[in-house]
Amino acid sequence: MEVMLWSAVQAVLNGILTGSLYALVGMGMALIFGVMRIVNFAHGAFMMLGMYATYVLFDRAHVSPYLGFLVAAAMLFATGYLTYEGLLRRVVERSDFMQILLTLGISLILTDGVQLIFGADYHQINIPLLDVNVRLNQHVSLNAPWLVSFGITVIVATAMFWFVMKSRLGRALRAISQNRYAASLMGIDVMRIQALSFGMGLAAVGVAGGLLLPVFYLYPGAGDQFTLKAFVMVVLGGMGSIGGAAIAGVVLGVVESLTSLYWGNEWAVVVDFLLFLAVLSLRPSGLFGSQRV
Amino acid sequence: MPHLTIGPVGPRAPGLRERRRLSRHASGKMPRVIRPSPAFGAALLALVAGVACKADGTSAQGGGGATFRIGVVTSLTGSAAAFGQAHKNGYAVALAELNAKGGALGRPIELVYYDDQSKPDQAVQGVAKLVDQDHVPLILGAFSSETTRAMLPAVTAKKVPLIMPTATADNVMETGSPWVFRICAGATGYATSTIDFLQHNGAPKTIALIYENTNFGQAAAKAMAVQAAAAGITVVDDEAYQANSPDYKALLQRVAAKQPEAVYFASYLLDATTLLRQAEQIGLNPTFYTSAGTGFAAAEFPTEKGAGKYAEYTYSASQWTPTAKWAGSQEFDAAFTKLTGSHPAFHAMEAYATLVTAAAAINLGKAETAAGIADAIRKVKLDTPFGPVAFDAKGQNAHPLLVTQVQGGQYKVVWPPEQAEAKPIPTPAWADRK
Repeated sequence: MEVMLWSAVQAVLNGILTGSLYALVGMGMALIFGVMRIVNFAHGAFMMLGMYATYVLFDRAHVSPYLGFLVAAAMLFATGYLTYEGLLRRVVERSDFMQILLTLGISLILTDGVQLIFGADYHQINIPLLDVNVRLNQHVSLNAPWLVSFGITVIVATAMFWFVMKSRLGRALRAISQNRYAASLMGIDVMRIQALSFGMGLAAVGVAGGLLLPVFYLYPGAGDQFTLKAFVMVVLGGMGSIGGAAIAGVVLGVVESLTSLYWGNEWAVVVDFLLFLAVLSLRPSGLFGSQRV
Repeated sequence: MPHLTIGPVGPRAPGLRERRRLSRHASGKMPRVIRPSPAFGAALLALVAGVACKADGTSAQGGGGATFRIGVVTSLTGSAAAFGQAHKNGYAVALAELNAKGGALGRPIELVYYDDQSKPDQAVQGVAKLVDQDHVPLILGAFSSETTRAMLPAVTAKKVPLIMPTATADNVMETGSPWVFRICAGATGYATSTIDFLQHNGAPKTIALIYENTNFGQAAAKAMAVQAAAAGITVVDDEAYQANSPDYKALLQRVAAKQPEAVYFASYLLDATTLLRQAEQIGLNPTFYTSAGTGFAAAEFPTEKGAGKYAEYTYSASQWTPTAKWAGSQEFDAAFTKLTGSHPAFHAMEAYATLVTAAAAINLGKAETAAGIADAIRKVKLDTPFGPVAFDAKGQNAHPLLVTQVQGGQYKVVWPPEQAEAKPIPTPAWADRK
């Protein structure tokens, strides 16, 4: 009995650690969706880009991934800003269909481009931290890299949340997500703010990619599964609510972990999407009620 | 930084387009959905077409009067691209060797590649393209069981022989098609070799199956469930998992709770690494870590590029190793290493053996047509570095498998006794490892 209890505790803790990385991915997507009403189908591909940046730094310059993720974030911010200015800006007012095609196209170009440059081979990095397990007791142990990335995630997520809720720029951002046209009439430079939020959304996913690298592995399609997960989180969290998406990420991590433990791993994704469908049809404003950012 | 000026006009005066947009909203109308222009449609078509037709352009256009063309379908891009590359290198070694010896029917052999992008539908496309446009009389491929299985109806309908180098799922041999040949051992072979090894080395009573939820994984697990039951070993846990996930800890907790004496994995390389690292964290300690080759038999697996020290003591059923005692293994290893800079895994050897067998059949039967080549393949008997090759009535080559164990970062053949180069070392608990 006691063993069963501890095994549930282990699963929940691991779920929270995995979920915290999901949360970052989801927050990035929610920010972009909230401000631009764009479903970024290239989200996972950009995450993969962040992973490759961190990998190259580690491989060529021996920069720890726990510093490298900062570079990945900066690079993705710039990429996001420029992508918006160069491409997205032209379609942001047009039909959703065009936005979907454009981001999908970007995703294909990134995945195949990376494959051309780095090849399709898998890469992984080995750092000493991977061998460290923190044992809470006889039954519960946590892997150190996941704990470190959890700590970093909490800091980044809090900073991002504070920025959106408290800063002047964040207020402009929320104004746009409420009503883009009214915001522009109030003198907010909509295009500029959107470019910044696209950059920030990608920076968040870049951090997630950098932190995931040590515990996962890398290939050009590595990010694809996260696009769909981010999608689920945005819906669970309430269509563009950043805080909601963050909580949804953690919920998703824990649900997946518990599903794996009690039903089997192959059901984890099924449950993800059942949750997604249920929320879409029964509670379209998201699990946590609040609409928008 | 953006400016938040109060007032009707922003810091930058809105351009004409912006103003028009604003006025549209001022009048309360919803933004008009702009139809994609014809140019946009054309661009989209080009994009889709470009994605769909990524056939590798190594083939020369026009009739191949001077060369003997053989079609190859494999995964040069997509998730299985690393293995497709191994195929390509294995074929390249065989091609150089065969063409130096006169090729097929005195003509140099030319391989016409089709990249299936690791997708079953593309593999089917490949058959159509290779047969209808390139007029090849024989196809080799594909890499995975999933893509290969999809090709079978197409090669049967087009009446072209297919030799499969690496598809291990048993369902690729169950269509009854007379056009299909397989050079590697299948999932049942993996299971029987593993069971045979276990029965003679401690005879565990319980086993847990952990496998990726794909054609390959399911086939491996199904075959093992049957063979284990026949040997009186109880399957205490059966865990399918979603491949390429970062987190298998909960799954491993389930397995650990059942305390199996042996674990049998069917996984690709990087999932194998994740699974073993997390097995340590969870404290999953079976007496035998066994596996259906693939990820656990890849060249990188016992190195730092794979699971490294976590790979130690794991057993794997393996189609071939560079140290196999079949004549020519060392030479292939040397030629492959010279070409690529790294040692081959068995996938490359299987591609090599496939092409060598194909050429032998063509030369033996003096066959140029698809039907003639199929007959010749049925009759062929030859010794290759992959072991003796001969196909039974169903088209299966009776390939004997080896069981290897990772010892000191190297694969050592530990079973069967006539191939063994080392004795199996008992697996210590994770906590007792240095």
